[in-house]
Amino acid sequence: MANRKNLNFKQKYGFSMPKSYLFRAKKGLNKQIVESISKMKGEPSWMLEYRLKSLEIFFKKEMPKWGADLSKIDFDDIYYYIKPMESQAKSWKDLPKEIRNTYDRLGIPKAEKDFLAGVNAQYDSEVVYESVNKHLEKLGVIFCDMDTALKKYPDIVKEYFGTLIPAHDNKFAALNSAVWSGGSFVYVPKGVDVKMPLQAYFRINSDKFGQFERTLIIAEEGSNVHYVEGCTAPVYTSNSLHSAVVEIFVKKGAKVRYTTVQNWSSNVYNLVTKRAKAEENSIMEWIDCNIGSCVTMKYPSIYLNGKGARGEVLSLAYAAKGQHQDAGAKVFHFAPNTSSRIISKSISRDGGRTSYRGLVQVRPGAVDSTVFVSCDALILDEKSRSDTYPTMLVKESDTHIQHEATVEKLGEDKLFYMMSRGLDRYESESLLVNGFIEPITKEIPLEYSVEMNRLIKLEMTGSVG
Amino acid sequence: MSFIYLNKNKKTTYTFNFPGKYTVFFNNISGDYKFLIKSKGVDLDILGIIVGKNDNIFNIKTDQIHDAPKSKSNLLVKGILYDKSKFIFRGLIKIEKTGQKTKAYQKNQNLLMSKDAFVDTKPYLEILADDVYCTHGSTTGKIDKDSLYYLNTRSIENKKAEGLIIRGFLNEVLVILKQVASQQEYLLIQKEVINNL
Repeated sequence: MANRKNLNFKQKYGFSMPKSYLFRAKKGLNKQIVESISKMKGEPSWMLEYRLKSLEIFFKKEMPKWGADLSKIDFDDIYYYIKPMESQAKSWKDLPKEIRNTYDRLGIPKAEKDFLAGVNAQYDSEVVYESVNKHLEKLGVIFCDMDTALKKYPDIVKEYFGTLIPAHDNKFAALNSAVWSGGSFVYVPKGVDVKMPLQAYFRINSDKFGQFERTLIIAEEGSNVHYVEGCTAPVYTSNSLHSAVVEIFVKKGAKVRYTTVQNWSSNVYNLVTKRAKAEENSIMEWIDCNIGSCVTMKYPSIYLNGKGARGEVLSLAYAAKGQHQDAGAKVFHFAPNTSSRIISKSISRDGGRTSYRGLVQVRPGAVDSTVFVSCDALILDEKSRSDTYPTMLVKESDTHIQHEATVEKLGEDKLFYMMSRGLDRYESESLLVNGFIEPITKEIPLEYSVEMNRLIKLEMTGSVG
Repeated sequence: MSFIYLNKNKKTTYTFNFPGKYTVFFNNISGDYKFLIKSKGVDLDILGIIVGKNDNIFNIKTDQIHDAPKSKSNLLVKGILYDKSKFIFRGLIKIEKTGQKTKAYQKNQNLLMSKDAFVDTKPYLEILADDVYCTHGSTTGKIDKDSLYYLNTRSIENKKAEGLIIRGFLNEVLVILKQVASQQEYLLIQKEVINNL
């Protein structure tokens, strides 16, 4: 483990850059703040109305009574909108030095050089850097931030925005609908196959600042796109809230894969609503890795609306001291011949708690549909906890549903074998853990899976003291 | 060895304070049952058969709570649902911090015999100890077409073939009961189950 030092994650990412703002809304939430956000952005009136309506719903809705402990969130102690100094920069060189440094440490430019189609980087709530490959433009693919999309493509946005996740879906969806800012907009025209993954890096870089990005992906008939979001956030002292909404429309025969690597700092509440609608013979895949944050509640869902649609959710959760990862998946079978597969792997260590919470519904008429759910959990010490809460509602007889789950600790025999081959205990443990999560890490882009393996290794060795 | 037939008992909480082999069985009931394991060396089988007809609704909750180390519990619930019947099952395995070296299993399998039947199954796990092995599984579906076809090719007509498959499905439970219940009890249970079909 000579290179253990290089893997010190805190040293690498745990910094906070100096902040300068053009505009920062007052702490707390009320009608004036929502109005001023909308005014600052110069939005059309329907969006302002939508925001205000959502705000009312937010005030009316109760906090969820299940899941993780959210009692420490103080909605009045959060900035709902911050506009950074620089606005949209055209190229990498135009970015302010401090932002460039931040991204340099995250290794974006190199990754971009190698194989990224475009980097849509979010610094605080406004997208300040965005580079879209010419290749994408030639294909007719739109990949920009949500604020730009609202200005340049209002018709498309209006047609889809909030139709899959309406504001009254849940309290946090209502909050996002009222104060959303930034996020990505992706439109893939009919038959276009986007070969390179589209990436966006999100960062919360301001204390007590909640990030409320809004993402909308529309994949037209027969198209194919892979969207990747990765998060790394610096360490802070007080609570931060991240509450995003992601809506995905997968049209006939299209395929969308959405990969998330979530590594918020350990004071962030990560409460995200993600939903996709899959039409005839289309494929929707969520790959959801939750490593950071203090509390995550996130259940990517798929509505299988068209015949022969397929949905897949691969979920990975890692919880260490003070963390509760309450993650899972939801799949609704509305049409015949639909199939879904949910694979969840979770690891809890050093007092952490992981929960798998899932819902699979097979509605009447969804004949010949198949469901496979598998959740495996590893508990690495006696302080930690693991829960599994799957729910299956089956209203159609002509189906095939399977669910299985195991919870166990690392096998002593396996550890003994590796140690007899000259590895120390911690190396053996991290090898075993990396093997355990491999079915998921092999599905994510290379640089992420390398980072993930390192991170797990680092988190494991961290326990040596 | 001891055998508890839940239908004949009013108690809903069962505490196991001594090592030994125990078997619990229930047949077509609703209720909220707790099984508290407070001793090491307990080997508990919890078996259940639900046969729903017409507009029957069965709502069962089971808690397997391990509050002592080195014990084992194994739940197996089989449901067969005809007509508009509903079966709502919530099973929980909870391993307390004191439950190290526990092995706990939970399995719920359901056969849907009608388009209008409904199953809601929630096999939950809450694990607070690290040196344990727990699994749960659930399957729901209708009678396998291939199995039916095979029996048809052996000139067994559909209705009889279905009966054979159902008997096979239930046998997993009945075989264990035969070993633990008295002959009189076993014959009674077998009769009840078959009458329900």
